[in-house]
Amino acid sequence: MTNVLEAKDVSVAFGGLLAVNSVDFNIPEQSVVSLIGPNGAGKTTFFNVLTGLYKPSAGSIQFNGRDITDLPPHKIASIGIARTFQNIRLFGLMTAQENLLVAMHSHLKSGITSTILRTPKQRREELAAEAKAQEILDFVGIGKWTHEFARNLSYGDQRRLEVARALALDPKILLLDEPTAGMNPQESQVFVDFVRRLVKERDLSVMLIEHDMKVVMSVSERITVLDQGEKIAEGSPEQIKNNPRVVEAYLGKAKS
Amino acid sequence: MAKRPISNVTLSNRKWALGYTIAGALLFLIYQFLLPWNGLPDGIYRGVYQWMPPAAVNESLVYVIMALGLNIVVGYAGLLDLGYVAFWAIGGYCAGWFMSEFFYFLNIHFFGSVGLDRPGIHINFWMVLIIGGFVCALFGVLIGAPTLRLKSDYLALVTLGFGEIIPQVFFNGENFFGFNISNGTKGIVIVDPIPVGVKNLGPFDFGWKLLIFILLAAVMVFISLRLRRGRLGRAWLAIREDELAASMMGVPLMRTKLASYAVGAFAGGLGGVAFATHVNGVYAERFNFAISIFLLAMVVLGGMGNVWGVILGAFVLSWVNGTGLVAFGKTFNSQFGTNIDFASFTFLLFGLVLILMMLFRREGFLPESRLKLVLNEDELDTASEAKKAKK
Amino acid sequence: MAKVAELQKFKGTRGQIRRQRVERIGAIIISLVLALWMLVNIIEAPSQFAQVAILGLRNGLLYAFIALGYTLVYGIIELINFAHGDLFMLSAVFSSFFITVWFNQDASNPAGWLTFILCLFAVMVFGAVINVLIERLAYRRLRHAPRLAPLITAVGMSFLLNFIGLKWNGSTPRQWPTVIPNFDIYVAGVRINMVTIMLFLVGIPLLLGLNYIVTKTKNGKAMRATAQDRDAAALMGINVNKTIAFTFAIGGAMAGAAGLFYQQAVGTTNYNLGFQLGLIAFTSAVLGGIGNLWGAVVGAMLIGFIQGLNDGLPIAFGQQWSQSVVFTILIIILVFKPAGLLGKVTTEKV
Repeated sequence: MTNVLEAKDVSVAFGGLLAVNSVDFNIPEQSVVSLIGPNGAGKTTFFNVLTGLYKPSAGSIQFNGRDITDLPPHKIASIGIARTFQNIRLFGLMTAQENLLVAMHSHLKSGITSTILRTPKQRREELAAEAKAQEILDFVGIGKWTHEFARNLSYGDQRRLEVARALALDPKILLLDEPTAGMNPQESQVFVDFVRRLVKERDLSVMLIEHDMKVVMSVSERITVLDQGEKIAEGSPEQIKNNPRVVEAYLGKAKS
Repeated sequence: MAKRPISNVTLSNRKWALGYTIAGALLFLIYQFLLPWNGLPDGIYRGVYQWMPPAAVNESLVYVIMALGLNIVVGYAGLLDLGYVAFWAIGGYCAGWFMSEFFYFLNIHFFGSVGLDRPGIHINFWMVLIIGGFVCALFGVLIGAPTLRLKSDYLALVTLGFGEIIPQVFFNGENFFGFNISNGTKGIVIVDPIPVGVKNLGPFDFGWKLLIFILLAAVMVFISLRLRRGRLGRAWLAIREDELAASMMGVPLMRTKLASYAVGAFAGGLGGVAFATHVNGVYAERFNFAISIFLLAMVVLGGMGNVWGVILGAFVLSWVNGTGLVAFGKTFNSQFGTNIDFASFTFLLFGLVLILMMLFRREGFLPESRLKLVLNEDELDTASEAKKAKK
Repeated sequence: MAKVAELQKFKGTRGQIRRQRVERIGAIIISLVLALWMLVNIIEAPSQFAQVAILGLRNGLLYAFIALGYTLVYGIIELINFAHGDLFMLSAVFSSFFITVWFNQDASNPAGWLTFILCLFAVMVFGAVINVLIERLAYRRLRHAPRLAPLITAVGMSFLLNFIGLKWNGSTPRQWPTVIPNFDIYVAGVRINMVTIMLFLVGIPLLLGLNYIVTKTKNGKAMRATAQDRDAAALMGINVNKTIAFTFAIGGAMAGAAGLFYQQAVGTTNYNLGFQLGLIAFTSAVLGGIGNLWGAVVGAMLIGFIQGLNDGLPIAFGQQWSQSVVFTILIIILVFKPAGLLGKVTTEKV
């Protein structure tokens, strides 16, 4: 199995604070990997580095064999790394469909003049994009809300819409930042099935930041544990469960 | 319950467009044919001339053109531009340069509307319109390229800076490193008439020029509406909503913002050329900061983002500023025997428009349909937005 | 940790490094050009140079007082308070009326000096009250609104104050007498006006006092805490509304003092004074690094100095380009070093 993304020796420093310290991280094709760790471990920072929002202070990131370390965020997004946000950041005053169309921006071609003149080509492109948006909305299960403003959707549907918007980028990697926050156990279970379906049907890899251990353990093929910016463990759910360093990071050192 | 698709916006747009056409046609008919009619009662004639003289209507329409341009920058993309007057000035001087005897040592004619023996550059009005538009668009890009990566309020300040520098260049332009580029404070007087095939429209052909300005404004409406529903319009909206999320979704921020600047500036160029033909000259001292704020007030009053609201706002405010206040003052003073200088109340008026609209009706009088949803909701709901704004 | 030390040496990605290099080279070129320009002028007209330099520094002090209001307010609620320049203008008009009309002083004598001192207190209170009122009536209600809203409101406020100034002062510039010692002294052939010296004598203690308030007093500490993190400050029991109002009061008081100084130093008032000086002052605040008090002072002195040289030197663009020179500085700073000379860069959190 080849890796679609390889991050090597990535460090991020904010002044004297080392938020991420020499982390190696790979994402194999069509897999689900998780990043866990206590609060403040540097998980979201690492996400932000992968999506180009922060630039790593050291190290490099390769995507499909291409060095993307220095690319701006919108380039990284358009070549196939999509994300959702911990606190939902939809375009609230745009409809669900428009939210997806914005994400397709980099795949569409019409410019100022062709939009003003509404050339046949531009019209075809728009129609195709709308059809694709509808297909994705149906896929995540909010097909009936196509023309509803994002801010009017329920919390759960907004989370789905965020995933749908990310999918509209045609990503090879989907980064989900605490996707089950605020969900009850049943919903979380539905989500686990959804992630599996995602990987299978849409040919992509999923990387999760997640606090819900049940979700993490049941869906991940590989788990990486960060603590204070350092990778302290990596392996299958079984291995992680029994790793003493992980237990220590989460529960504190037992006094002996 | 699936909501009706967004295309109902187009439906209402169609209604509005019809209204615009009818209103435009009526205005034209009134000013071109009814006013000069001999049978018209004298009272009505004088009333119209006091309350709504032809020049004021034309000027309002020029403001409409420019407000529509500013609306693309402020209303669509959510970037505050406080120096829009710079584009007006550049457009104006394009007309001054290419449609007058200003370059007296040259003799260039290109489908112009004056005799071939006249010195200067005389290019056809319709071409100058396009030249003015594109020169402004170019300047928009030049100004925007280094500055658009700035935080929004810094950007406002830089635009303000350009809005001061460019008019000052023209103001002092009689000797700009040894060249006369603008005639300085004397201005460039007498701009060529507008050729429309059968005749040339001079400074006093208000009726026909009104029709031309209505058409130009319609072109801007058309451009605004089309762009709005396309790829670029969506990206602008997304940037207005959440810049960071937009860039994470593959929208190139710089390019998209630059596009809004360019299109907005293009409209400024159209307006500048149109205004030059309207007043039959270009005068440097007219291009001041207050104009930028007037235009902003027009966009805010009508409803940021909604072209019909902006048209209304521009028409009303420019009329009030140009004619309404003075006419009202005259009537008021003669009625009550007072001597109040109502024209000096413009500052109060525009200031109050901006403040009160922001405090009590942020979506404007004719809000964009999607804005109605949020802007006037209670504070509880905005708490999350506040957090976002803080970050 | 060795790793941290090593990473602190990290200068940025390739793009950032290129940018930094451009920045540094740009800074060197600009400084060289400036130095050369000054040198040429010093050789050409040494005493004139000293004279306009002093005048420039005096204006710089005036700008500093206005710039402080911008920087304080921006530091705490991230709003460019466009109305601040006009508050300064109103203060200048207030001072004129206070001294000349209400107290009927028009000459430099002990009674005039006393009125000056009285006026200093009065105008500072005046500025503070107006500024707090503006905050209370307009900005506070928009604290949670999208950023465009308070900014547009501030522009509206500026127009409103402009209107008051227009009605109060009249539409044409007005001349006023000076009541503080107003005679020239000569130091090594360079003419210095007593007013300039007086301004520094009164102004510098005021600045030190402000510094004391912000760094040492409880209110000042609350201010800095609120500027850092409003929510956290509120959780620590700081009354955020009161603190913001206090900040506006201090900024307003400083603008008030600036109004008096301007009126005494320049002797004319005009209703549209605030726009120009406000923008220059804001440029100063940005140049020094917005949010940084001493940055504002340094930036203002620098701008005043450069502007003074430009307006008064034989080899310069001259006064008619004054605005353009200041704005060009503003644009260059914002484009190449948005954090200013003494400021820090901030990044958005996700």
